[in-house]
Amino acid sequence: MADVVTESEADVAVIGGGPAGLHAALVLARGGLSVVLLDESDTLGGQYYKRRAEQLTAAFGDFRPRGTELIRQVRESGVDCRTGTLVWGAEDDGHTLFTSDVHTGALGQVRTRATLAATGAYERTLPFPGWTLPGVVTPGFALHLATMDRVPVGKRVVLAGTGPFLLPVACALLEAGAGIEALVELNHPYRPGVSSIGGALRQPARLAEAARYLLTLARHGVRVEQGARVVAAHGDTQVTAVDIAGADGGVRRVETDALCVGFGFRPSTELPRLLGCRTEPDPTGTEQLPVVDADGATSVDGLYVAGDCAGIAGVHAAGVRGQLAAHAILRRLAPERAPVRVAGLRRRARALDRFAELADRLYPLPALADLADTTQVCRCEGVTAGEIRQAVATGWNDLHGTKAATRAGMGPCQGRECGHIVAALAARGSGPDREPECLAAREPECFAARMPLRPLPMATTVEAAEAVEGREVADR
Amino acid sequence: MSTNSLPQPVTVTIDGTPGQAWAGQSVTAALVTAGIWPLRRNPVNGQLRGPFCGMGVCLECEVTINGRPGSRSCTAHVTDGMDIRTHTEPLPTAAHG
Repeated sequence: MADVVTESEADVAVIGGGPAGLHAALVLARGGLSVVLLDESDTLGGQYYKRRAEQLTAAFGDFRPRGTELIRQVRESGVDCRTGTLVWGAEDDGHTLFTSDVHTGALGQVRTRATLAATGAYERTLPFPGWTLPGVVTPGFALHLATMDRVPVGKRVVLAGTGPFLLPVACALLEAGAGIEALVELNHPYRPGVSSIGGALRQPARLAEAARYLLTLARHGVRVEQGARVVAAHGDTQVTAVDIAGADGGVRRVETDALCVGFGFRPSTELPRLLGCRTEPDPTGTEQLPVVDADGATSVDGLYVAGDCAGIAGVHAAGVRGQLAAHAILRRLAPERAPVRVAGLRRRARALDRFAELADRLYPLPALADLADTTQVCRCEGVTAGEIRQAVATGWNDLHGTKAATRAGMGPCQGRECGHIVAALAARGSGPDREPECLAAREPECFAARMPLRPLPMATTVEAAEAVEGREVADR
Repeated sequence: MSTNSLPQPVTVTIDGTPGQAWAGQSVTAALVTAGIWPLRRNPVNGQLRGPFCGMGVCLECEVTINGRPGSRSCTAHVTDGMDIRTHTEPLPTAAHG
């Protein structure tokens, strides 16, 4: 079956066509290298520079013209853009990538001299009673509906969680015609204290952005309720009401037809971890990040990371980090070229990193101690917090044993929704000296990255396994 | 922002009922517009589930599109004449229904 695999070669493979990947691909191609840009989505842009469909752009305008311009430049620079292409595996320090066409399942293999993972992030969710009800969604999903599809997620929306992302989502919902019943922020970020002002002043544009959102919300009569959170969602076949615990401790019920709840973002680090690169805890102590130098080079020779998968820092940092990684790859693969000065880019990257650290401080994650035993943690396999705690108490006091004992994290999402929660519950151990349950840890654990990194159709999986085995046999 | 007229709607069929959507919209958007949130049953406990992450990660929004089961409605785009089928009927052996 190995002959059904389409093989190709390039100097550099960039995985992920978001801000980091696009900026990197452009620098690399203009530097004279052959570049293949791989993205699972049918269009380039990633989550931030997401594209509206042609007919919707014609009617509603270009969503983010800067993204359109960047994508045009990338295409013109000669980058081989392969959208609808999933990278589900890699080996050989990332010099071999295994791909599949998301529409046909056709397998491919890309051989490269260097690889840049710019795989971005996904939203962090935290379980609570009722969070699996239809109509309970992530803020990112509501934003996609509002901006790409021009559909309000509901008429009486509750938006909750923590993080600066809730503000633009709220504004986009209003513009799409949704009503906001409540905007509930877990923390108290919008009364900056001394510690936050210093960091924010170095990024006045970001500060002004937040102020603009708050003004828009105020104009629509939407108040940000700080220090509050959604503790339960209710409904029969879909969500109809939520319980909100206010800063004063009182709980009130609010009728709603859509609850959007999110707690920031988690880096999508599966590919670098699969390739065995060294990792370290991120500043929040909830994720393992690839250890990188100032340009995004990992401990695996020839493997680079950039953008949110190297640590959540947002779109501007992603662009800068993508360029830095590209220049480093150019110095490596085309040493005869006159080196480009990158001191300015590095300074900008450091400043943006400091701003990201400020966000981490302003929007800390909640403790998990009050996660009820009856609450489902693993959506796919329907595993509750109690079942996980019991597995931990009976001796499965590590993440992988807990996963094996409960099936938590074994479903189709491969632990992307629950992995951080299972890890936090498992890492506390058992007995009287057990630590309190919280997301942050000195050495946060995560599920091991395994091929296929994303679910493949069964027929494709069989062919893929044979293709990988065939290679291994040939290599021996 | 919207200076031009609305896009031309196309016809989609959701669980046998014809409706309208804009070509290029996500299939989830067509379902949400039609007021349809539950899309499937969790195969383990039979609970109703609907779209959640909207970016192809959670796989809660899988429906059958033009006869192809297990299609993620959040990453699929509406085309004219599309046939969309949800799977909310109780599981045949649902022990926890």
